[in-house]
This record gives sequence, C-alpha cells and structure tokens, in this order.
Amino acid sequence: MTKAPIFNVMNTHRQHEKGSTLVCALCIILIMSFIGANVLMNCTTRYNVTSAQVAGWKDALCAAEAGADIAYAETRKALMNPGTQFSGAGWTSSNASTGPWTYTMPNPFGAAGNLSASASVDNFTSVDGYACYRIRSVGTARVFGLRRVGMDDRPTGATSSFVSGSDVRGRGDSLLRKIDFNYDHFISTYGDGDGNNKQQVALPNDGNGNPLAQVSRRVEAIAVPILPVSGAIKTSGSFYGPGSAGVIDSFNSKNGPYNPDVALGGTPLPQYYSDSRDGNVNCGGSSFTSLTGDIYGNVTTDGATLKSTKYITGSVDNNVPVTLQPQAAVSPPPSRQYESTSPITIDPPGSNPKCSGQPPDSWANAPWYSYTNLQNVTINPVTVGSTPRETYVNIVVNGDISTSLIINQGVNVRIYFTGNVNIKVSNFSNKNVDGSSLANIDGTSSTNSSASAHVQFYGVSPTAPATQTINLDANGKPSIEALWYAPGADFISKGNIVMYGAVVCKSFYENGDCFFHYDKALGNLISPNDYRIASYIEDVR
Amino acid sequence: MKIAKPNRIDGFTLSEIMVAVALGSIVLAAVLTSSVALNRSFAAVDDFFSAHLQQVRIIEYLSRDVKRSTNAEISADTKTIYCWIPKYIIRTGDSDATTGNVGTRRTPTVTRGGSGYEVNYYSTTSANGPSGTSTNNSAVVYSVNGNSILRTEDGAITAIASSTDQLVDQVTDVQLANTGYLSSVVTFLPIFTSNGAAVERAGTTVYATAYLRNIRRGN
Repeated sequence: MTKAPIFNVMNTHRQHEKGSTLVCALCIILIMSFIGANVLMNCTTRYNVTSAQVAGWKDALCAAEAGADIAYAETRKALMNPGTQFSGAGWTSSNASTGPWTYTMPNPFGAAGNLSASASVDNFTSVDGYACYRIRSVGTARVFGLRRVGMDDRPTGATSSFVSGSDVRGRGDSLLRKIDFNYDHFISTYGDGDGNNKQQVALPNDGNGNPLAQVSRRVEAIAVPILPVSGAIKTSGSFYGPGSAGVIDSFNSKNGPYNPDVALGGTPLPQYYSDSRDGNVNCGGSSFTSLTGDIYGNVTTDGATLKSTKYITGSVDNNVPVTLQPQAAVSPPPSRQYESTSPITIDPPGSNPKCSGQPPDSWANAPWYSYTNLQNVTINPVTVGSTPRETYVNIVVNGDISTSLIINQGVNVRIYFTGNVNIKVSNFSNKNVDGSSLANIDGTSSTNSSASAHVQFYGVSPTAPATQTINLDANGKPSIEALWYAPGADFISKGNIVMYGAVVCKSFYENGDCFFHYDKALGNLISPNDYRIASYIEDVR
Repeated sequence: MKIAKPNRIDGFTLSEIMVAVALGSIVLAAVLTSSVALNRSFAAVDDFFSAHLQQVRIIEYLSRDVKRSTNAEISADTKTIYCWIPKYIIRTGDSDATTGNVGTRRTPTVTRGGSGYEVNYYSTTSANGPSGTSTNNSAVVYSVNGNSILRTEDGAITAIASSTDQLVDQVTDVQLANTGYLSSVVTFLPIFTSNGAAVERAGTTVYATAYLRNIRRGN
C-alpha cells in the first residue's frame, strides 16, 4: 500500500533529468541550424547575384552587340554588294528597298540557348549622297538562379532619397541591372523607346508555367561611310617625321589659302582656328617615329607605345588598325578610248570627238591620255576668250613619273601610275590657287577652290614582291599641292618641302623640316568603299 | 525510513553539484563563445561579400558609362573620373525639348569633319570640360567621398558603393591611357577588429578594362 507512491516519485525525477538534456541539445542544434541556415541563405543570395545576375546582365550586352554586328554587316553591303543587302535569314521589311529593316535571330544562342537578339536598321539620313544607317539592337539573356532582386541595397543616397534625382527604378544593384521577372519593364514603361505602343508583355514561361526571368539591354549604333582621306597622312605601315622645325596641320581651302598664323592661335582665336587642328596622322603599324616637329591633330597607331607629348596637340590612340583599299589599275570606260597621242603639252580639245563632241567639263567627259612614262609634261586648260576655265584630264601612266610637270591654272588632272615617282619639287608646278576657283567651261561658277584637289595622283597597288616608291626631293624650300592616294607605295619626302594636300600610302618617311598642310576640302574627294560604326550608345533606361 | 531513502537517492552531494556546475559552465561558455565568434565571422563574411558586390557594381557602372562615352578623363589623383556621354534621350530643359518629345530618343546629325563623318546627338557651342561643365553631352563624374563612391550625372548624385563600418575603400585607381580605354582598379581593404584595435587584412582587388566605343578605331 505504501510502496507505489515512492516509486512514482522516483520515476518522475528521472524523467525530468532526461528531458532537460534533450531540450538543451535540441535548442543548441536549433540555434546552430538557424545560424547555418542564415549563412547558407545569405551565401546563396550573394552567389545568385554574383553568378547568375551579373552574368546575365553581361551576356545581354553581348547579345545586343551581336545583333548590332549582324546589322552592321548588312549596312556594309551598301557599297560592296547592295543587291544582297538585308536579304539574309531573319531579315524582314515592309519596304525592302527603303527600309526600315528588321532582324530577328532565327535561333537562340549561348551555352544554354539563353541568349537572343533582334535589331532594326533605318536609313535615317544621308550625307554627301551616302546613306547613313541607324542600328538599334536588343539583346536578351535569361537570368538563371533564384527569382529575386539583388539584396544589396546598402548604398544610401547622398541626397535626401536614394532615388531622388534619378529616373530609374530600384535600389542598389537593381538600379544598375534591371531584371524582368514577370513583364518586360522597358516595353511597359517606354514602349518602342519613344513612348509608343506601351504594353505589358509577359515573359516566356518554363515548363511549369513560371515566368523565366530575363534581362534585356539596348544599344544604338550609327554606321557611316569611311572616307579614305581623313587627315594629313594615313599609312598602313610605318611613319617617320616631322623634323624639329616641321609642322603637320590643316586648313580648309574653301575659306581661303593657308595662313600659318591661324594654327598658332591668338586671343581671340582666329576664325578658322578649328580647321587648323585636323592634321591627323593615322599610322597602321607599330613603327611610329615622332620627331620634335608639331602635329596639330590626332595621332593613331596600331601597336606603338606612343604617348601624348607637347608636339602632338590632339589625342593619341595606339590601338587603331588601318585597312587601305588597294588602288586597282584604271582604264577608260567601255564607251571611251585613249587619245591617240601622248603629247608633251596637253591641250584638251574643247570638243572631243572621242567623247561625243563633249568639252572636258567634268571627270566623266575628261579625255584619257596614256603614257609609258610621264616626264616633262605641261597640261593646259581650255580657254574661253583667252580666259582659262576648269578643265578635266585623265592620265594613265604605265611606268614612272618624273619631273618636270607643269599643271596650269584651271586644270583638274587625275594621274594613275603603276611605277615609281621621282619628283624634284622645284620642277613641279601646280598653278591653281587655294581659295579661288575659275569658272567652268559653260560659264558657271566652280566650287573647287582647292589647289591640291586639282592634281590627284593615284598609285596602282603593285603585286608583291614588286614595290612602289614615291620620292619627293626638295630643292630649296619649294611647295607642292596634290592629293596622293597610293596605298601600296613607300612615300619619301626629303628636304624642307611645303606640302599641301593629303597622303595615303603604305609607309611615310620625311626628313628635314617638312611642312605638311592638310586641306580639309579633300575629305570627300575619294568615294568611300566601306562603313564604320561612328557612334555607340546604350539605352540604360 | 521509507521517506528518507528516496531523498538520499535523488540528491547530489556538494562535490557533484560543483563538478556539474563547472562542466555546465564550460559547455555554456564554449557554446556562447562559439556563437559570438560565429556571429562575428558571419558579419565579417557578409560585409566582405557585400564589399565584393560593390566592387563588381562599381566596375560595371564604369564599364557601362565608359563604353558609351565620347571622351573620358581622370583627375591627377586618379580618384575622379569624368565621362561625357551623348545626350541620347531628350530631357526637360534641353534646347530641342518640346511638350511632346521629352523622354524620346534623339535623332543624331551626321556631318563631315576633319576625321571623316562625325555623329552628334546634341550639338551646342559649349565645349567639353572637366568637372561636368559640358552641355552638349551628359557629364557623368565618379568621385570618392569618404567611404562612398559617388556617381553624379548632370548634377544628380547616386552613391553606387558605400563601405560599412568594417570595410574602408582604399583607393580607386583609374588609369586612362590616351583616351582610348580605361583601366579600373577597385580595391577594398577590410578592417577587422581584434581586442578593440583595428587589424587590417589583405584586401580584394578587382581589375577591369573598358574601351571607349565612340573613339574612332580603324580607318
């Protein structure tokens, strides 16, 4: 009767001891689990941001630029192969000839097929008769990982609110990387980019009906024609010069003759001061030897270690390749033929029977002369009432050129040569005057007021291992006004020559105190043959 | 006798209690110490990751803005970066802004300049200049302000990175090579506290190079 309660007390005490130990152990495990889970959750979120979201954001730009590249490739066909422009897979247009043209990538790309791109191209303007293209590309990348925004919202605004003064949404990482989770935020907010057709566009779903998070980036690039002449000197190889007292600068003959005081500036700056700072030198090689002469313009090389110096007023960029279009051999068009003689003095006929009786009033109507070697030749213009008029002449030289050469005022001549050039500059005379032009043969006013535009040398690119050399040798300090386009030639200038015009060649070497004045009026004299991206902007909204 | 016996069985001697208390104290102390250490370690790692994310963010902000700049400069102490970005979107106050076109994309003009055809989104007579004085481009300035790195676009300030109490930005070393590209080096030097004294640890450094896409390249 009295034992049972005693054993009950004993059992109760033992159970309490076991229970407290278990509870303590569970509590410790629970605390540790909370800490561990918190760490893991935090790490997972960080990992989600650093790996998935950052990667997706970068990949989207790659996709956008891939779309822009595809569109850019089509714009280049405008000059190379216009018949096939915007006709490949993925291109559509409501008007195939005038555009705009739209490209949708037929298949996604990327390691997991997570990238896609679309682009549109329109001919938004023309300049000098050449189309300029606007390329708008959208790249989209799927964002893998957790469907959540970046958790790092720690940055605080220096203004009263983090987003004050900002037109964009989100905080922290979301301010930079705009991730769409259910709807495309750009189309919802900005429509086509100009506020048109705003709508909610749901994102594609996965197999379970959950929207796939994505990030889109938008870029706009402007493709413009490449002008073969874009500065004083352009080489595909090396450059050497100018000497200590030499100068490379620029002017525009449309504003009058070269004035050395303009480049030196003054207070206030001269009216055409800005035109004096485009004596650009584009060296397509790593061999760039800059002496202590002044270069009033930008300098580019491809691999040199050139630094900005006090002798270079413009910028220096050592990562610019130069590709020169070879100069092909030239002959008269099928409807035309050479003049029957190769005279020492060229007097173009006022009424040319080899050109349907037309006067030499344009390049199309210019007579064609052929020489095995060009030397001691004088070219006269057509005169009307003993007054010279703007006259056009083509000369093909299947050999070398040497002085003397006299180009009288009014003569516009294009000289195509296959051999070498040896000119003693003192025996070269271009009597055209910068800043003034004569009347055309029909009495109308000419717009060609550039002396160097009147005399154009084109060196036919030699076939390797043949070479081509252009030697200009001074005699005193004479001047020469000409445009030189000889992409396969080594251009050598010796002595204190004053050169007006522009040079495109394989390599350029000048010793002595050469003065080189680039005439900006030559900029569009040679037709472009390719396009380049002149502007790049990303729509970061 | 029957009542006293169970009490003797259930009770503890003084030595038993002291041993138990000692052992319990040791276990509790170990748990407490571990918890505090774990918490501190977690906080440090959290701050470290946070700083690393901010490094990535700084680099990405810089890369994005440098890529679309027409020009970029750095200050002599390499801590301030000036980017001039074409004004792509028409904003209120722009000379060409109307009630209907604010917020739309601007159509650029193309002209023949000294270096070929040039594109301008917003032409004015004002020249670019340091400290955001430009008006024909948007001026974006990156600067270090205390422990924060600020991004200022046309006067609007955003703190794109801000150090915590245990992380101090050491330097933002940016080198601009001939306006062609921008190499950024962002280093955070975390500072941990030990016995009330700051103890530095090796920082993490993130390097990046961004090319100015609007600098003419090739021909």
